[in-house]
Amino acid sequence: MSNVVKDTLTVIFGLTGVLFFIGGTVGLLRCPDLYSRLHPATKCDTVGSISITVALALQIGLDMALFKILVVIFLLLMTSAPSGHAIGRSAFMNGVMPWHKKGVVPWPLEGGDRWTGH
Amino acid sequence: MSDFANEFLLAVAVVLIINAFLCLYRAAAGPTIQDRIVGINIVNTKTMVVLLILSTFLGEELYLDIALAYALLNFVVTITISRYIET
Amino acid sequence: MLKLKAMARTVRETIPLTVFLFLLWIIFTEKTNWEHLLLGFIVAALFARVSIFMIGGKLDPNLNWKVGLRFFPFAILLFWEIMKASWDVLTRVLRPSLPISPRIIEFDSYLDSDIAKTMLANSITLTPGTVTIDIDGKRFYVHCLAQEHESGLLEGKLERMVAWLFAEGPDDVRSLR
Repeated sequence: MSNVVKDTLTVIFGLTGVLFFIGGTVGLLRCPDLYSRLHPATKCDTVGSISITVALALQIGLDMALFKILVVIFLLLMTSAPSGHAIGRSAFMNGVMPWHKKGVVPWPLEGGDRWTGH
Repeated sequence: MSDFANEFLLAVAVVLIINAFLCLYRAAAGPTIQDRIVGINIVNTKTMVVLLILSTFLGEELYLDIALAYALLNFVVTITISRYIET
Repeated sequence: MLKLKAMARTVRETIPLTVFLFLLWIIFTEKTNWEHLLLGFIVAALFARVSIFMIGGKLDPNLNWKVGLRFFPFAILLFWEIMKASWDVLTRVLRPSLPISPRIIEFDSYLDSDIAKTMLANSITLTPGTVTIDIDGKRFYVHCLAQEHESGLLEGKLERMVAWLFAEGPDDVRSLR
């Protein structure tokens, strides 16, 4: 791969990662309650860091360091979901109720208004 | 690695650090403890990515190991505190 | 004779973890001369034996080589779903009107084993606007960001994917559609 192609790909992946990270930050600051803050925290950050690590891997090339970066990506994918789940569960156990729009039932039991089943 | 890519990655790192400082607001002002944990979790993730970028920028392989330990520690800290404050 | 068989079984149970730890050792030390490799192998075997002794048993019986083989198409599909989900959440969050209507829904899953339920919970957390809050038996408590995400979740595509991965559930959902 020539240098120009590599640099272009690096810029594309890096900018994507930065966009996702900014989305995560904005979501964390804007969302109305804890549960909706978890969504940008678990998704946007994972994709952003994976995108930036791909950009780095392109620059490093075939090397021992590449395997370490792959291990880091694997760890990120494995750990971000359980940590979000643990935080949500602790809030759930402590009785934090979800924020909801007016007219929406915040927690329909089975057979609720918008329940469709499967 | 070309000079241009080096400069670009450094700029990315700077943007990430600014982002991390903005996330600290949530950690300082969150109404519940869980909000603070989420804020700290995100700051840690960003710090880890900045460490990865620095390891490529400075050519220090050691930073990769530190980043890995940081990722593991981030996970353990989040899980431990959330389990601890669960009633 | 019986003792020999038991020993053979112990060795067989230890092998996968040993190989995994040994690969990690090679990646982290970045050295390939035989002294380091020998030391790494000894440490990996010791650690694998001790941890299997402490956990008390073997790996989950639902994990076999078929699951390992099926995992690659599953991971590609899941990765595509993750990309779509993140883009969706990103656009929702960055739009000035903030078009979200969050709430918690409950549903029952037909998956049986613990590992399948864990996989489903992780997949739900990583895909469209849904975070698993709690699992109680077969009942899942999921926080959804908007109505589209709820209906997408209740369609059960992810559940079918996990059922296909672990070959579980009713017969008509085992094939990936």
